[in-house]
Amino acid sequence: MKPAAFEYVRPGSLNEALQALSRHAGNAKILAGGQSLVPMMNLRMLHPAVIIDINRVPGLDAIRTDGDALVVGALARHSTLRDSPIVAKHCPLMREAYRYVAHKPIRNRGTLGGNISHADPASEMPAVLVATDATIVVKSAKGERKIAAANFFIGLMQTALQTGEMVTEIRIPIAPANQGWAFEEAANRKGDFAMAAIGATLTLTGGVCSQAAVAVAGMSDRATRLSALEALLERKPLDDDLIMRAAVLAKSSVKPDSSYHADVDFKRDLAEALTERALKNARARCK
Amino acid sequence: MNSPHIPKHIPSEGYIPQSRQREKPRKDYKWIGKNMKRVEDPRLLTGQAGYIDDIKLPNMAYAAVLRSDRAHARIKKIDVAKAKALPGVLLVMTGEDAKKVTGPTAQFASPPVVQYCIAVDRVRHVGEAVAAVVAENRYIAEDACELIDVEYEDLPVVVDPEQAVHSTGDAVLHPDRGPTNLAYRKTFSFGPVDDDFAKADRVVERRLRWARSGAQPLETVGAVAEYHSGTGKFTVYGNSSFVNYVGWLVGASLGVPAHKFNLIPVTTGGSFGSKLFTHKVLTLTATLARACGRPVKYMEDRLDNTMSCDNHGSDRIYYCKLAVKNDGTILALKFQVIDDYGAYLQFGYGTHGNSLCQIVGPYRINSVEMELVAVLTNKCQQGAYRGFGSEVTNWMVERMVDAAADELKMDPFEIRRKNFIRPDQFPYVIPTGNLYDSGNYPAVMDEALRIADIKKWKDIQAKGRAEGRCIGIGVATCQERSVFSATEFWSLNPLDTPGFQLTSSPESTQIRIDPTGNIQVTLGSPFWGNSPETIATQIVAEQFQCDPGNVNIVYAGTDSAFNSTGPGGSRFTVMIAGAIVGASVKLKEKIRRIAGQMLESSPGDLEFRDGKIGVKGVPGMEKTIGEVALFAHYFRLGLPDGDEYSSGLDASYVYDHPLTTMPAADRSHLGIFYPIMGHMCHMALVEVDPKTGKVKILDYVAVHDAGTVVNPMTLAGHIRGGTAQGIGSALYEHFYYDENGQLLTASFADYLIPTLDEMPAQIRVGHVETPSPFTEYGIKGGGEGGRMGAPPALTRAVEDALSRYGIRVDELPLTPRRVRSLVRATEQRQGRTPGI
Amino acid sequence: MSAVKVNVRVNGTAYAREIEPRMLLCDFLREELELKGTHIGCEHGVCGVCTVLVDGESTRACLLFAVQADGAEVRTVESLAKDGQLSPLQQAFRENHGLQCGFCTPAMLMVATELLEHDPDPSLEDIREAVSSNLCRCTGYFNIVDAVRTAVAMIKEGKQ
Repeated sequence: MKPAAFEYVRPGSLNEALQALSRHAGNAKILAGGQSLVPMMNLRMLHPAVIIDINRVPGLDAIRTDGDALVVGALARHSTLRDSPIVAKHCPLMREAYRYVAHKPIRNRGTLGGNISHADPASEMPAVLVATDATIVVKSAKGERKIAAANFFIGLMQTALQTGEMVTEIRIPIAPANQGWAFEEAANRKGDFAMAAIGATLTLTGGVCSQAAVAVAGMSDRATRLSALEALLERKPLDDDLIMRAAVLAKSSVKPDSSYHADVDFKRDLAEALTERALKNARARCK
Repeated sequence: MNSPHIPKHIPSEGYIPQSRQREKPRKDYKWIGKNMKRVEDPRLLTGQAGYIDDIKLPNMAYAAVLRSDRAHARIKKIDVAKAKALPGVLLVMTGEDAKKVTGPTAQFASPPVVQYCIAVDRVRHVGEAVAAVVAENRYIAEDACELIDVEYEDLPVVVDPEQAVHSTGDAVLHPDRGPTNLAYRKTFSFGPVDDDFAKADRVVERRLRWARSGAQPLETVGAVAEYHSGTGKFTVYGNSSFVNYVGWLVGASLGVPAHKFNLIPVTTGGSFGSKLFTHKVLTLTATLARACGRPVKYMEDRLDNTMSCDNHGSDRIYYCKLAVKNDGTILALKFQVIDDYGAYLQFGYGTHGNSLCQIVGPYRINSVEMELVAVLTNKCQQGAYRGFGSEVTNWMVERMVDAAADELKMDPFEIRRKNFIRPDQFPYVIPTGNLYDSGNYPAVMDEALRIADIKKWKDIQAKGRAEGRCIGIGVATCQERSVFSATEFWSLNPLDTPGFQLTSSPESTQIRIDPTGNIQVTLGSPFWGNSPETIATQIVAEQFQCDPGNVNIVYAGTDSAFNSTGPGGSRFTVMIAGAIVGASVKLKEKIRRIAGQMLESSPGDLEFRDGKIGVKGVPGMEKTIGEVALFAHYFRLGLPDGDEYSSGLDASYVYDHPLTTMPAADRSHLGIFYPIMGHMCHMALVEVDPKTGKVKILDYVAVHDAGTVVNPMTLAGHIRGGTAQGIGSALYEHFYYDENGQLLTASFADYLIPTLDEMPAQIRVGHVETPSPFTEYGIKGGGEGGRMGAPPALTRAVEDALSRYGIRVDELPLTPRRVRSLVRATEQRQGRTPGI
Repeated sequence: MSAVKVNVRVNGTAYAREIEPRMLLCDFLREELELKGTHIGCEHGVCGVCTVLVDGESTRACLLFAVQADGAEVRTVESLAKDGQLSPLQQAFRENHGLQCGFCTPAMLMVATELLEHDPDPSLEDIREAVSSNLCRCTGYFNIVDAVRTAVAMIKEGKQ
C-alpha cells in the first residue's frame, strides 16, 4: 500500500505556493497535514502528479482575532486548535467538537485548512464552520475569494475551491459571551468519523431563544444547517417541550444517506437524540 | 481419580486410557506459578524483535499482488505487457503462469477444494490474487500492479449462506466438486436425543446469528524466500506458527521434497490462530523467488490481509432447540448450523469438529444432535481465530441457557448452577465422546461473584434503573478446551474418506547443557506472540532447580527441527511442558550418573538444588551443574565404559498428545480428542444508551480455571487480551459483505478493532486451579479463553440492560446501529418509549 | 520522478539521503536507515504501530513523506534504551506485562514518551487518551496503562 510517484514542490512562501498551484493546474494537490490525503494516496485512490507541500509557508498557521472574527490560518494544526485558549474563548463550539476529533498523532499533523478542503461529510469541523457562519478565505494566483462556509461544502468530498485555489484562512465570527454551545456526536469508536453529529449554538434573551444555529454532520454528502429547526426555536421560550419538538423535527428534516455503520433509520434516530442533547447542553451554557 | 462418568451410548470398557502424567501436581514449586518477568521482552522493547518484515537478504526483490475487485468472475484475459515493461519490474506472474510450476495449496477438506496461490481461470472473492509482480522495491511493484489489465466476465455472486444452498449453474463456485455450493451436509446424533426431547416439559427455540470477524493481528502475514538453483533447495523465512506442520506441505505444492524446503521461523507479531499455516503467502513467495532467481519478500499489506487472509472467523446461523424440564434441568440440545465458509475450505469442517468437543458446555446435557450445513460463498475463506469455532458454540449454548432461564423465569446464575457437572463427576465423558478431565465449576462461579461483588452490581443496577438508565448484568459459564490434537480436522469428513489414523500431534524439544553449565533449550515451534521462552524457562528451571538466567531458548527451522506441531488450540504450554519433562528426566539421569562418579555417591542419593547436584541431606557435598557439564563434555575417559557415559549432555524428547482416542467408526461418538478442559465464568456490567445504541462496559470480571498455572501474569495477560477480542467480536467487529460481494469493512477505519476507549476501566481476573490428571504438573491450556467467554456475557448483559424493552438478542455484533434497531422495533410496536 | 535530498536527524544522528519524494517516513526509517523498530501495520493511519516522534510530536510515519521530515529531529524506539539499559518506561512495560507479541510496543512507547515529556505527572485520563491513539491486539491495553503509571512513579522516584 504505497503511493504512486509524484513531483514534490516545497514553496517557501504563499506566493510561490499559489504560483506552483497555477502552474500545475489540475494535476497538483496541496499537502498540508496529509492525514486524509496520504491514506488516499497510499490506497491509490488518488494519483496527484504534483504535491505542493505548504508546510514551510510562513504565517499560514496563525490563530488570532481580527475585529469580530477569530481567524485561523489554514495550516493551524488540530492539536494546537484543540488546546488554544483563543479558540476556547472565541469559538467554544470548536473546542467542544475537538473532543471527538481523531487521536493525538493525527491531530498533531492534521490541519483545519486541510480538513475542510478534504470535505469529509462525517468530519466535525465542517459542521462547526457551517454552524458558526464562518467564512473561508481562498486564494489563487489571480486573487482572493471569500466563501461562506454554507457555500463552501458542495458535495461528497467536494468544495467550492476552483482549480488553482487553496484555503488560506478561516474566519469565524467571535461567539457572543452569552451564547451557549454544544457538540454531540455518535461514533462507533471514540475518534472515528461521526455516524451523526450535531453542533448547536443558542442565545437566550429572558428565557426566549433569540438566536439558534444547528448544524448536522455525518448525515448526507455535506454538513448542513437545520434551518427549519432553527426557525422553530427562534423567538420561543426554550423549554423542554420545545426542545423535544425540535428534536423530532430534526429527525424528519435530515436527509440521511445509508452506510454499513449507520442506515437511514438509525441516522434519523441519532439526529433526534443528539439534537435533544445538544440543545439542552447549549441551553445550560447560555448566560 | 473418581470413577468416570460415561454416557450409556458409549462403550465404557477401556474407554479412558491410563494417564501418562509423570509430574504430579504439587504445592511447593520454586519457579512454576511465579510471575516471572518475560524472557522475550528486552528485544521486543528495544525494536530488535526480528519480525518477518525486518529480514532483508542481499539482492532481495519485493512482491506485490494485484487482487480481484470482483466477487465472482471468469478471468477472460490478463494483459501484463505494460507492467512488464516498467523499469524496475523483474517478474509478472499470473495464475496460469504459476500453475505451470506450482501445484494447489495444501488443504484438508474432503472431497478437496482446489486452491492456487494465484487464481486460475476464475476469481471467487473480492481480494483474491489475480497476478503478482516482483520489482526492485514495493513501490514499483505496486505501480506495475496498476498497469495490469484484467478482463473479467462477471458471474452470479453468492453472499447469503441460506441462499447458497440453492445455487445452480454459474453461481456454483467449484463446479468440479459438484453442481452445488452446498459443501457438506450431515447430521450427527450423540445419545438418545429423541427420548430426551420426549421427556421435556418445554422446548426452547431460537435462531441465532454469529457474524464473521477475524484475528487481524497488527502484523500481517509475510515471507522471504530464496531458491538455490544449484541445490534445488528453498530457504524461506515465514511467520507461520505451525512451521513443522506446514513446511513439507508447501514443499509439496512447490514440487520439491521436504528436505528441499527449509522453513525458518521468525518472531511473529501476533497470530491468535491466524498464522497457523500462512501457506498461501509461503507458496506464492517461494514460487516468485524460484521464477525470478532472486530472494523475494512478500508482505501482505492490510487490505491484502483483511480481504484474502487464511482466516476469517466463523460465520454461522443456528436453529436451536433446547429440551428442558420445568425445574430448569436441561436434557438435550438439537441444532442445525449453517456455516458460511467463503470461497475455499482450507481447514475442512474442523471448526465444527472442534465445537463438538465441548458442545454441552459445563452442563449435564444428556444428548446432542447437530446437523451441519456447510456452504461456499463469494467471500474470503475461513480459518482459525481464537476459539476455532468453539467460541461460537459457547455463545450459542449460553444464549440457549439464558433463553431457557427467561422462559422458565429462573435466575441466570441459578439455572447454570443447577445444571453444572458436579466436581465429583470427573472425569466426565460428554455425549460426543470427548472427555472433560477435571473441573470445579461452582467454585469458578463463586469466585467470579466474589470478585464482582454481585451485591454491589445489583445495587448499581437498581439505582440506575430507578434513574431511568439501562444497566444490565450478564454472566457466561463456558468451557475452554485445550491441547489440540488433529482429530477435529477429519472426524466429520465423509466416512469413506481414506487415510486417517489416530494423530499424536507431537511437540518436541532438545535440551543441551553446554560445558559452562548453561542450559540451551531448542523449540520446534516459533514465537507467535505469547511467551514460549518464559514458559519453557520456568519449567526447565523447575526441573533442574537452577536459576532461570542459566536457561537459554533457541528456535529450530525445519532443517534441524524435530517432530513438532506448534502453538494452536491452546496446546503449547501443556505440550512443551511434556517435552521438557521427558527430556529433562533423561538428562537428569545422566547428570546423576556422572555426578555420582564425581561425588562417589549412588545416583539415587543425589538431588538437584540451587543450580547444583548434591547428596541428599549432606550440605556442601555437591557439584555445580557447570562442573558436571565440563566433566561430561571433555573428561569422559575418567568415567566407566558404556554408552550411558558418552561425552556431552543433551537429550531430546517427543511428547505425544496426552490423551486422544479414535472416533467410533459410525461416528456415534468422536472419541476423546480435546480433553484438557478449562473453564471460565465471565461477568459483565454494562450500560446501554437506548437512543444511540451505544454500549458501555462499566465493570468486567473473568475467572478462569486453566489447571496448574505456570505464570499467572502471562495467563492473566491472555485472559484480558482475549476478552478484549471478545469485546470486539461482540460489539464492534464485522467483516460485512454487501449483496455484490464487496467487503465494506476492509480497512481499519471500518473494521473496528476496539481501542482503549472501548474497553472497561479494568478486566478483573481471577484464577481457580483444578489440575489435570493427564498432563505434566496438571497444566491446562489457557490461550483462547477470553474471547470464548466475553461474547455471551456481554450479549446477556445488553439484553438484561434493555429488559424493559423486552428485547431478545439473537445476532452479533451489537453495534450501535443494531442495538438501536432492536429498541426501535419495540418502540414502534408499543407506540411509545416504555416506562421505567 | 527526480530524487530529492533529505537531511534528517534520527535519534541524534544526522543522515543525508537522496530518495524518491513518495517514500514514506516509515519505509525511510526501516529500509534506508535500517531502523526496524518502527513497524508497519495498516498504512492508512489507523493502527498507529508506525508512530514516531517528529520534533517531539507523535506522528504516523505511514502518513508522512520522508522528505517532509527534512531538517527535523525524528525519534524512534531505538532512542530509548541507553548503554544497554532499558529506560524506565521500557522497564515498566516489562514489569507490568504491557506487551505480548511486541508489534505495537515501540509505538506505544513513543506515544507514552511524548506524554511524559509534555507532562511528567499525567492524570489517568491523560494516559488513557495517549494510549487510545494506537491499537494493540494482544493485551486489551490495561497493562499498558499500568505500565505508564508505573513509569511515572519510577521517574519521580529517580528524581528524588
